Amino acid sequence: MIGLGKLGGRTWVVTAAALAVLLVANVILQHNFLEPSVIQSNLTTFLPLVLVAIGQTYVILGGDIDLSVGAIVALVNVVTVTVIAGLGGDGTAVVLGLLVGMGVGIGCGLINGLIIAGLRFQPIVTTFATSIVFSGLALWVLPQAGLPVPEPYWRTYAGTIVGIPTVYVIYFVAFLIATFLAARPFMTRLKAVGGQRAAAFQTGLNLGRLRVSAFALSGLFGAFASLCLTGETASGDPLMGQSLAMSAISAVVLGGTALAGGVGGALGSVLGAWVVGMIGSVIFFAGLPFEYQTLVQGLIILAALAGGVLVTRR
Amino acid sequence: MPIATRVRLMQPVLRASDISKSFGAVHALEKARLTVERGEIHALLGANGCGKSTLCKIIAGTVGRDAGEVLIDGEPAALGSPHLAEEQGVALFYQELSLVPQLSVGENIFLGREPHTALGFTDRTAIVRETEALIARVAPVAGKGFVPDARVSDLSPDQRQLAEILKVLARKPKIIIFDEATATLDRRQVEVFFDILRELRADGVSSIFISHRMDEVFAIADRITVMRNGQTVAEFAASETDRYAVVYAMVGETGAIAASVRDHKPLEDTTRLVVEGVKAARLGPVSFTARRGEILGLGGLQGQGQKALLSGLFGAEPFLAGHVSLDGVDVTARRPADVMAHRIAYVSGDRARDSALPGRSIFENTAIASLVRERRHVIPGALFRERFAEVLAGLNTRYAGLDAPIGSLSGGNQQKVFISRWLSPAPGLLLLDDPTKGIDLGTKGDFYLLARKLADEGATVIIYSSEDSELLSLCDRVLVLNGGAVTADLSGDRLTPFELTQASYGDAA
Repeated sequence: MIGLGKLGGRTWVVTAAALAVLLVANVILQHNFLEPSVIQSNLTTFLPLVLVAIGQTYVILGGDIDLSVGAIVALVNVVTVTVIAGLGGDGTAVVLGLLVGMGVGIGCGLINGLIIAGLRFQPIVTTFATSIVFSGLALWVLPQAGLPVPEPYWRTYAGTIVGIPTVYVIYFVAFLIATFLAARPFMTRLKAVGGQRAAAFQTGLNLGRLRVSAFALSGLFGAFASLCLTGETASGDPLMGQSLAMSAISAVVLGGTALAGGVGGALGSVLGAWVVGMIGSVIFFAGLPFEYQTLVQGLIILAALAGGVLVTRR
Repeated sequence: MPIATRVRLMQPVLRASDISKSFGAVHALEKARLTVERGEIHALLGANGCGKSTLCKIIAGTVGRDAGEVLIDGEPAALGSPHLAEEQGVALFYQELSLVPQLSVGENIFLGREPHTALGFTDRTAIVRETEALIARVAPVAGKGFVPDARVSDLSPDQRQLAEILKVLARKPKIIIFDEATATLDRRQVEVFFDILRELRADGVSSIFISHRMDEVFAIADRITVMRNGQTVAEFAASETDRYAVVYAMVGETGAIAASVRDHKPLEDTTRLVVEGVKAARLGPVSFTARRGEILGLGGLQGQGQKALLSGLFGAEPFLAGHVSLDGVDVTARRPADVMAHRIAYVSGDRARDSALPGRSIFENTAIASLVRERRHVIPGALFRERFAEVLAGLNTRYAGLDAPIGSLSGGNQQKVFISRWLSPAPGLLLLDDPTKGIDLGTKGDFYLLARKLADEGATVIIYSSEDSELLSLCDRVLVLNGGAVTADLSGDRLTPFELTQASYGDAA
């Protein structure tokens, strides 16, 4: 069980337990839940949240918070579909569109990071403000939903790469990136920045660069999430992903990363994101009326968070 | 030997001259100077707020200077950031710790300079190996659980201080500034620390050593620089001077130092405080009584339950069993608010953790206890301002104004503010947890006189101190704790350094 310890505090134990309960509940409610195709379809649904949560983990570890990821997701989506359409929609256009999308994500993250670390603004207020700016830009780029992406794009996303479902390849790559970062000195330094900022400064760490990097990572993972969502919806939508930022923060906390910073890791956030996603599907398949779904989802997340906090406190 | 190298060897390793620095209207330093030779242990002394911490921070690159020059090995040194200073071989041991509690000992020690593999991944095996080698240097006094993978938040205060020392050593600097490095260490740990300093000296490393414990200064220092009011006023070779001369230079006049405040009127024979069978995680059961007007010391090696006893009496960490009564009234505490109504006060030496409302004004930091005790919902501004301005004036506190932030004061003046919280009305039971940790001699003197005055007015004072000399000069009686139990009760003729040391070391030695 090496590696589990790296998931952070003890909150992830509760989250793993919650995940197990939710699995059982889902199997009861959905008899075909364990069929490979259904597993794949569920994991596809959860993937954007998983990616955003991984990115958000770095920001939170560094003692900051990024409320603007949802807006980044929308902006990346509209920019990507516009670029692909503008370049004629062939294979080269798709590749360029993906790259520009990632660039936009990183750029948004850099803007957040530079304002917060450079000008010493409050992260919660700043990213709330930039989220409005990013949303506004998205509406300016593409005022109305529409503008389909070419067929190869969504076919590849729903299909396979060298025989492996594309979604699994993306999971694997995300896992690789998270593991890669976790093994770098960057991770320890970021935790130091979030854990005790004065100590990190006195130790000679470059706080600004570390915090900006974390925001850039959040922007990049937001872009990944957006490109995946685009593969699902196959079109542009300036209002896409609005609830993602908050859900991702829940996922990060459920995964054992302290909201105050300094403790935790991205792999825990993956567990957390699955829990948040499965809560949604349990409610859906339990046949609850739509109007109760959000309320119940909120209460379950609150209960799961409380469980985690109680375990950590002991 | 090339000429250039020979010239460099003849230079002092550090020469700071004409250093000036102002914070707003306050002149922290005015043409201060400090010269440190290669491979010497240099004590930097001075009363609170004399500028020695500021001078050290300038040398270590955390504070910029307004004027003056710093030469390292005879070359002008660029000290714009802690990182730059470190590159030039200067390392500062921080009085306010520079450890990240969430990280492990090893991660902290190598933070920012992590050993890495050829591919740039953190080399955790190397961190553990090198941390183990460093810990081995303090092995006899490291205590339980001091391993490379231990989280710093799980360590005791003295272990954290040892970790901080190891972190400095790991940087292999040529100049190390130890600002109050021994503040939370017990005597055995100080001995080990001094051995390390001597090893460093033998290797040609220079140490600048700041301490408020005179014994330590004369035990270890080669030379002494004394500062007063932002200026350098005297430089001594330790072997050619004595305590009197140094203290004289520090305070400017000798009358201000109260050698002992123990001579006073005999105690009334009224039992005031009765503690019966109190227990905590690593304490007790302990029972004792204390009289009206008595200053009762808690002695012994560090971490033998003294702090648990004090915070239990105050209700910060309630006792698991037992009873406490004051003047016949049950004051067994479940939380601090319970006992504050009974005029029980608590002052901790860990100011940042237990006392300060950081970023808030001096007024708020003073008024807070009265607000709680008097159950105020609206702050009576004028009334309180008058009350506390008076109290603070009585304590000889220097501050810009009641609205200045608490952080603008030096450690000793901050502590006076935290004590002033409890003085209106005067406390019936005053609990002091190593209250003079890291504050200067002059303020300590004020502090002793204040404690004595409160006791003479009828208060019972219980004090834990990591300095035996403090207990010996201040207390009427000392309870020695060892392993959570009271192992000796010393008073009168038996209250001597010899008896205290013997009782402290008891089984623990």
